[in-house]
Amino acid sequence: MTTSPASATVTVKRPVVRNRLVSWLIFGVVSLYFLIPLAATFYWSLRGMKDVLGFEAYRKLFADTNFLPAFSQSIVNAVATIFLSLLIVVPTAYWVTLRLPKLRPVVEFITLLPFVIPAVVLVFGIIRLYSAPPLLFTATYNSSRIVLIFVYVCLSFPYMFRSVDNGLRAIDVRTLTEAAQSLGANWGTILFRVIFPNLRVALLSGALLTFAIVIGELTIALYMAQHTLGPYMSDLTRSKVYEPSAMAIVAFAITWAAMGIIDFVGRGATRHVQMVEAD
Amino acid sequence: MSYLSISHVTKQFGDTVVVDDFNLDIEKGEFVSFLGPSGCGKTTTLRMVAGFEIPTAGKILLDGADITDKAPNQRNVGMIFQSYALFPNMTVAQNIGFGLSVRKESKEMVAQRVDEMISLINLEKHALKYPYQLSGGQQQRVSLARALAIHPQVLLLDEPLSALDAKIRVSLRAEIRAIQKKLGITAIFVTHDQEEALSISDRIVVMNSGLMEQVGTPFEIYNFPTTVFSANFVGSLNNASAEVVDPALSLISIDGVQFESAVDLKERKKGDKVRVAIRPERLSFASEQKKANVVDSIIENITFLGSVVRIRVKIGNTKFNMDTFNNPFLDLPKIGAVEQVTCSREAVLVLDE
Repeated sequence: MTTSPASATVTVKRPVVRNRLVSWLIFGVVSLYFLIPLAATFYWSLRGMKDVLGFEAYRKLFADTNFLPAFSQSIVNAVATIFLSLLIVVPTAYWVTLRLPKLRPVVEFITLLPFVIPAVVLVFGIIRLYSAPPLLFTATYNSSRIVLIFVYVCLSFPYMFRSVDNGLRAIDVRTLTEAAQSLGANWGTILFRVIFPNLRVALLSGALLTFAIVIGELTIALYMAQHTLGPYMSDLTRSKVYEPSAMAIVAFAITWAAMGIIDFVGRGATRHVQMVEAD
Repeated sequence: MSYLSISHVTKQFGDTVVVDDFNLDIEKGEFVSFLGPSGCGKTTTLRMVAGFEIPTAGKILLDGADITDKAPNQRNVGMIFQSYALFPNMTVAQNIGFGLSVRKESKEMVAQRVDEMISLINLEKHALKYPYQLSGGQQQRVSLARALAIHPQVLLLDEPLSALDAKIRVSLRAEIRAIQKKLGITAIFVTHDQEEALSISDRIVVMNSGLMEQVGTPFEIYNFPTTVFSANFVGSLNNASAEVVDPALSLISIDGVQFESAVDLKERKKGDKVRVAIRPERLSFASEQKKANVVDSIIENITFLGSVVRIRVKIGNTKFNMDTFNNPFLDLPKIGAVEQVTCSREAVLVLDE
């Protein structure tokens, strides 16, 4: 062998450098696609006062007596939806994984239905079914709101089921269940002390997606005459110039904050999950 | 009355019979292994004792109580899995204390028992670590401690060493046996590894396609196999089909070469087809004084295996392995040479065809 080591390193090094450049280029282009509209929106939101850049639009937004109630209502709806959805999806997915693996495709298909049925069709179906006796549930604002939350629970199924299902596949559900059983644990103990804690990351990502959907949902809330953030935003777009942009930036910030929290809380748990996968 | 009694237990999944009429009485403090290839029903039998499967027929009695249909969390049994099955969200101490805290024992009592168990498995330094921070062998020791913490009536081990590497496997198996003896706990150990079963057990149950082939001490199983399957599965073995020549004198013939056996053949008739099994280490080159079972053979091949040298010889038309201990002054024959080989009458096992 007479090949010098120097030439060998050069031939190895070049493609790596080129690859890295290409990666950064792609990353840059994609970032622009994402950042330009964001920057434009932010710039627009700062022009609330004539000839001066400032936070006037934000001040007006928070001064609007309809904004905070709509916002808090959406948040409460989202939290209620997450809670109910977890209570329905986790035991279902757990039981399907453990005892009825053959039913998995069926359950998966059912959870995907909200993707297949357009929201407009869904909401008219719901209104027709639930606004006449014997199922008259839309008589008052609050009862309608409860119906709305249950509809959101359905909308969350595709996201929630997928996350939970992935989480369950990452741990050895069957053996962990059997180990807990042989140590004397009943179903409740197994779910709350073994299964839920090991699904932390999956549950959080499902919860985040659900949160994002409920916060931004427009169609169903609008037709059910609910004063949530979606209808408020659409109203705002039609009547104001700068506030909708400010509103978009606020919503964006909240979403990122939620993601940051999830990342922070989830960090401790990821290593456990990875370890089980490695086994 | 035995401590754990499995009587006429059968398990079917649909039309497939996985365990067929399993009968076994286990004494208190006994260490019993279920040995067999995968799919032989050994794990299913263990899982029926644990309560994860319900027998299709038969009864399981533990200390006089019928536990056949009891839920797993109502039977006081400890279970150890091949994949350790430690709870990833709990520390070593929390894992070991889980069974006790589920039983609503007081905090002091749980803490005391956890300390006891941790020192039993020598993991004092690792009490606050999570399972992912431990090696496979350490994890399996934690799972042993977790199972023992609840004072189980029986300890069930489902291939606990199969996921570990060879050295740890041997040392952990000795540790498991030592702990089992120290606590005097009754244990059932499922394995497909014959060496493991032979080295660790008081008794072995050899299983094949749902049936019990043979039950006995490791010594009996190895030296006096009663079926072709258990003879073949445990240890390496030469076996050949043969014919009874003279039942009264226990003479059989393998392709015309006659062997004398110590087995009583009076129940059989002349001309009966049988299977003859001879362990490789029971064959040797014939010396002057040996008279019985001296036959001519052609040396076919010689393989050096370290402590043992395996010589392949052809007797009549049948090939046999012959094992001899290695030593530096061993005088090995040439390949193709004709040598006389011999084995004692006791080494010639006669089994049903």
